[in-house]
Amino acid sequence: MSMLYGFLVLTVFFIAGEVLRVLLALPVSGGVIGMILLTLLLMIKGSISDSLAGASQALISVLVLLIMPGVVGVFFVADEFAGQWLAIGVALAAGTLLSVLTTLWLMQRFSGPEAGGHE
Amino acid sequence: MSELSARFQELLALLSTSPALAIVLTLGAFFAGNRIFRLFNQPVWLPPILISAMLVSGMIAILTMDYAEYREGSQWLTVLLGPATVALGVPLYQQMHHIRALWRPILFTLPVAATMAAVYAVVIAASLGASEEVLASLAPKSVTAPIAIGITEQLGGSVSLMMGGLLITGMLATLFVDLVARWLSITDHRILGFALGLNGHALGTARAFEIGPTAGAFASLGMGLTGIFTALILPLTFRLTGI
Repeated sequence: MSMLYGFLVLTVFFIAGEVLRVLLALPVSGGVIGMILLTLLLMIKGSISDSLAGASQALISVLVLLIMPGVVGVFFVADEFAGQWLAIGVALAAGTLLSVLTTLWLMQRFSGPEAGGHE
Repeated sequence: MSELSARFQELLALLSTSPALAIVLTLGAFFAGNRIFRLFNQPVWLPPILISAMLVSGMIAILTMDYAEYREGSQWLTVLLGPATVALGVPLYQQMHHIRALWRPILFTLPVAATMAAVYAVVIAASLGASEEVLASLAPKSVTAPIAIGITEQLGGSVSLMMGGLLITGMLATLFVDLVARWLSITDHRILGFALGLNGHALGTARAFEIGPTAGAFASLGMGLTGIFTALILPLTFRLTGI
């Protein structure tokens, strides 16, 4: 029952995000706006109810299930992007290597002397 | 025999009109995928979501369903994506103390690294002659799936191609963080975790939790911040540059 209350809160925040997105013509999805609103509100409140924590935990644990329809589509788009798969593959592989390198280098540079040390 | 196949077609048409079949396929594949994943000793290169997706695709082919029919049937699952995206705010709030503890490197690294994660891929793909739709699908490649779906829809990319890119990126990020960290001799769990979450979203975060709880917490943080930052920046950039 309390889990349902948490789900109600999450859905209300999602609708609030959608309302803001449409009214302010924001290029960001309603879910992300709702997430930012919720994070800010929790920071102001400084505590979180069990029902909200429980509902969030439950939804996050089935996220894989929710994105499955999109992943299944991967196997049905092969012809659609014929001739571009090399570009896609190189962009993903080289792009990811470069961005990992950038992240680690920056974090190492800006962390204190304990960076690179053991915990 | 033809009598039976006609009835089978009739049955399929009936099942296609209700979401029940798509739901059973998705849920069944979800559990089977997780079980097979554990059976193979949880290989990094074969995440459970990929196993499940392959199982669903196989079943769709066997049942001679259309992917469009399946997608329509599984629509009610995607409806839950909105509230689930909002739910990501909870772990983010719970990790605020990590941000306070390491705010400087995070503040300097996140905007640059999250921007470059998109820029490297888009520039490389564009120079190799990829279409605009492909560029819009590759841009959110380091963003966690629920947020990335929203971004791709905003940019006018293909959600399916984006999902494929997301999976490959997650797997490669896990591999590359290992290699590059060894090369730069970085052993700080906080940095390793942050890099895994920032570049490899959920798959990187799963790997970070294998390293340890500190790495896991920082990976969730990196994933959440990258998701928010990219969701705010990418659509604006695309709108301004008129891609």
